[in-house]
Amino acid sequence: MTTEPEHAIDVENLTKRYGDLLAVNDISFNVRTGEVFAFLGPNGAGKTTTVEIIETIRTPTSGTVRLLGMDVTTRKRDIVPRIGVLPQGFSSFDRITVRETIQYYARLFCCRNTDVDGLIELANLKDKSQEQFKNLSGGLKQRLGIALALVNDPEVVFLDEPTTGLDPRARREVWEVLLSLKKKGKTVFLTTHYMEEAELLADTVAIISKGKIIAMGSPDQLIERNANYLVLTLKTIDGAPFEIIKRMGFEPVHDNHRNIKVRVEHTDDLQKILNAMKDAGASPLSVDVRKPNLESVFLKLTGEALREGSVEGVLD
Amino acid sequence: MSLRVIGANLVVSLKTFSREKAAMFFTIAFPIILILVFGTIFLNQDNGSFDLHVQDLDQTNSSAQLVKTLELNGKFKITTVEPAINATQYAKDKKVNLVLVIPSGYEKALVRRLGLVGGVPNAAFRDPNASVTVTYIYDASASSTSTKIQILRSGFAVVNQGMSGQPPFIRAAETSMLTKKYRFIEFFVPGIIAMSVMTSSLSGAVNMNAELRQTGVIRKLSTTPITRTDWILSNILYQFILAVISTMAILVVSYAVFSVRLQIDAWLFVFIVLAVFAFGGIGMILTRVANEAESAAAAANFIMYPMMFLSGSFFPLEMMPGFLQTIARILPLYYVNEGLRASMVFADNTAALHYSALIGVFATVVFVLGINTTKWEESK
Repeated sequence: MTTEPEHAIDVENLTKRYGDLLAVNDISFNVRTGEVFAFLGPNGAGKTTTVEIIETIRTPTSGTVRLLGMDVTTRKRDIVPRIGVLPQGFSSFDRITVRETIQYYARLFCCRNTDVDGLIELANLKDKSQEQFKNLSGGLKQRLGIALALVNDPEVVFLDEPTTGLDPRARREVWEVLLSLKKKGKTVFLTTHYMEEAELLADTVAIISKGKIIAMGSPDQLIERNANYLVLTLKTIDGAPFEIIKRMGFEPVHDNHRNIKVRVEHTDDLQKILNAMKDAGASPLSVDVRKPNLESVFLKLTGEALREGSVEGVLD
Repeated sequence: MSLRVIGANLVVSLKTFSREKAAMFFTIAFPIILILVFGTIFLNQDNGSFDLHVQDLDQTNSSAQLVKTLELNGKFKITTVEPAINATQYAKDKKVNLVLVIPSGYEKALVRRLGLVGGVPNAAFRDPNASVTVTYIYDASASSTSTKIQILRSGFAVVNQGMSGQPPFIRAAETSMLTKKYRFIEFFVPGIIAMSVMTSSLSGAVNMNAELRQTGVIRKLSTTPITRTDWILSNILYQFILAVISTMAILVVSYAVFSVRLQIDAWLFVFIVLAVFAFGGIGMILTRVANEAESAAAAANFIMYPMMFLSGSFFPLEMMPGFLQTIARILPLYYVNEGLRASMVFADNTAALHYSALIGVFATVVFVLGINTTKWEESK
């Protein structure tokens, strides 16, 4: 009897160069069997290069990568039938319908008993099963791509930026499909530059920047470790509270809407600030307290935003 | 190699083809349109029959006999012009490019020349100076006019020579190189078959590889068990099926509309297979050389169109200047054209074998190069 290895993926000292460009710089990590692992980083950080090496479609410059216990550079034939991939910028044959596309990929894997209807249902494509690929919206195409990644009932599923370029509603619909995938207990390797996506879906997040992994852990651990503070946002009538808070030794700032934002280390400080304002007769119109998110963690660690324009209203 | 995978690919390709109107047009309708257009244009030349308008001002049995002789030699379809009409005006009005006018007094002059007495020639009454002048009213700008006049002149020369009573000095013996008489359309059909096989396999290979690579379909495929060999073989098989479909369409129309007589045998399939490999191979190489789908498609057109016109698909090589003929002989399509003509028109197995060997070598080299240049994995 064989037992499942603890790690579905083991990456050791992986490096990938394109001429002078160092795309992946000596990274090591592993992915536990059955977990959803997210690779979070901005465009050009090395996410896709890393994932394509693990998927066996690129070769590493140095280092070793083992997938399901097998070396990816020598065991492609054995690995491919056991993994499912949604590549970045997924596309398919324009004139082939949703159902036909699933049947085609199932044939490639020799899955006579593929549950085509089940996959259509999982991806929520029942109404679109007779629609040709070219007529599908971006979100529907991605959902079909996820269904295709599952035709061979793979042990490890790779999803490379599954929601990039989708509007918020379509993104949410893809997340619903991914959550049902998570419930099935598959090992999922997800790359994304949306921190909400990583926070919502991932058990473990690795933050990658400029080819290096700069932090790794569960979303909560990462926030705990790197952004252990609270952000207090106050809506006030006049500028008086700003001065009061400043005199208390904090460093308040105004955001774009002229709200006051203050970063505090402890919940006690919140109370102190609110009391001081009450005493001065300058109670705020509204109060909002937030824990920082992965975006703030990323910002703190790299000094740059995950996506352009994504830092509005975030206090560093 | 997996037959299951090749079969799955083939199904997808054929479904795509059946749903793509432009592909259907260029594979089936376009060669048929070419056949119909060119076939109709050259139909007259094939039949060797010209329109000839004749005004017989003599209105005698002899002049009628002359008109009948012109008609009987098969070169002319005669239209009679009433003697009362002004022939020049008639030609202008009816846009007729040649009217032959037989003068009045034709029969009388003939009788004097032959010395006919009671219908029997009598040497004593023969007048060697008696003659008639026929008039050509013609439009010099019309291309067929000079051909018609030449045919008439040579016909009249024979008559004149016959009347001289002397046997001709130079006689001509005619031996056709062909065992039967062939028409232009029968040379044209193999050229169109070669052309359509070339366009569908070359641009097919470019589309399959460049476009699907650019859109990312090949990236997805490279994460499945399909191999590069499966992919290439299924594409070649698909191109072969398309080539057979378009060849059948061309042949059906050619037989139905122009009643062509062509030899259809195994050679036809040999040449189609070799052409699919040769041009499919060129397409695969182009895809690699030109990285983007648009530039690969442009490069394919850049190769296909000059080749179409230079290799003798549409007209004989002899019509081209010498240096162009030399260029034609280095083009693979020329050998496919000649090979198909050797087998379909001349039923010449030796020549067909010769051409198929040449294309076979070329196809092998190009196809092997094509396979080796086709990228499958993101190997960088």
